[in-house]
Amino acid sequence: MKPMVRKTTVVGLKNCYRPLSISAIKCQEAQKDGNGASGAARGKKPLSRIPIGAAETHTQKIDTGSTIEFTTWKAAALFLLLGGGVYYFFKNEKQRLEIEKEAEANRGYGRPLVGGPFSLIDENGEPFTEKDLLGKFSIVYFGFSHCPDICPDELDKLGVWLTELKKRNINLQPVFITCDPARDPPEVLKEYLSEFHPDIIGLTGDYDAIKSACKKYRVYFSTPPNVKPGQDYLVDHSIFFYLMDPEGQFIDALGRNYDEETGVEKIVEHVSAYVPKADREKRKDKWYSFLF
Amino acid sequence: MGWFSKQKEMDDPTKAPSRSSRKQCWESRDLFFGCLDKINIINSLDPKHQKAIKASCSAEEAKFEEDCATSWISYFKEKRVVDFKREKFLEEMEKQQK
Repeated sequence: MKPMVRKTTVVGLKNCYRPLSISAIKCQEAQKDGNGASGAARGKKPLSRIPIGAAETHTQKIDTGSTIEFTTWKAAALFLLLGGGVYYFFKNEKQRLEIEKEAEANRGYGRPLVGGPFSLIDENGEPFTEKDLLGKFSIVYFGFSHCPDICPDELDKLGVWLTELKKRNINLQPVFITCDPARDPPEVLKEYLSEFHPDIIGLTGDYDAIKSACKKYRVYFSTPPNVKPGQDYLVDHSIFFYLMDPEGQFIDALGRNYDEETGVEKIVEHVSAYVPKADREKRKDKWYSFLF
Repeated sequence: MGWFSKQKEMDDPTKAPSRSSRKQCWESRDLFFGCLDKINIINSLDPKHQKAIKASCSAEEAKFEEDCATSWISYFKEKRVVDFKREKFLEEMEKQQK
């Protein structure tokens, strides 16, 4: 040990290089400090991980529990706030989105699957085309005035829907298109429909115009061949209500499974979930567009 | 059908059946079908039942055929068979599920 100490002193004296600015005393103090530091280093294990000259208390400060507790309650508050907000948002949006998705799926991509241009005349003999469906929700039904039981039942149901929807401030434009133009000229339709609901618009036309309109709406109908003049006959046809949006696009088809109440609920759902096309496209650019 | 030489009001192609004439037809239909229920006949179009129908329900049948449009008569008669078969089918499905 002894020679080592001496050696250090010699090194210390040798190393005390004194430029003009540092006095001899300061140089001696620095030397003492150097000895002290090396002494402390010698007291440690030779392979200590603490770098020489590093503040030994620094690492201990990090281990104190107080900082961790602080971040925990802050995170909890953030979690509750965000979680609550997201939950509220999704709860509100979920059903609306489902309905909208259904409507979007029914709109199809590009060309509409149901609906399209047609040119008919209404019960007053005035022209009525697909453009008259724009600007309001419409409900389209196909039938014929000599229908034995289903059409009148369905039209009565439609009347109940229209009255109920009006109470909820929803004004649908009901349109009845005949599949039997031979027996349903405008005046017959006018009289026939007046027994159901005053709002119902009755459309007719020549056979080809009706056939084309039915095809656009994917409505199947068949008039029996070889009908003699004056002979009574039935017309087979599909029975659906077609709900159309104010852009004339098909939203949904309501079959006989919807009764007086559930039909109203379904229509209300669709009407309140409706988003105009311009807004739908605008929303595609938003950050949360993946939700739609 | 051949029994009516004069055209019925319901068969008039220039006029749609009114609510009241429809109601009249449906009531006569229900009376006739109620009578068929009593003698356990489902398919009134089946020739083998004609004798029994004539014997027990001739008045009801005549009223039904008078009040309803010609095309409706066979339609309702066929529908009675279809409805019965459907009901039976649904009943069986329910039994199988149990």
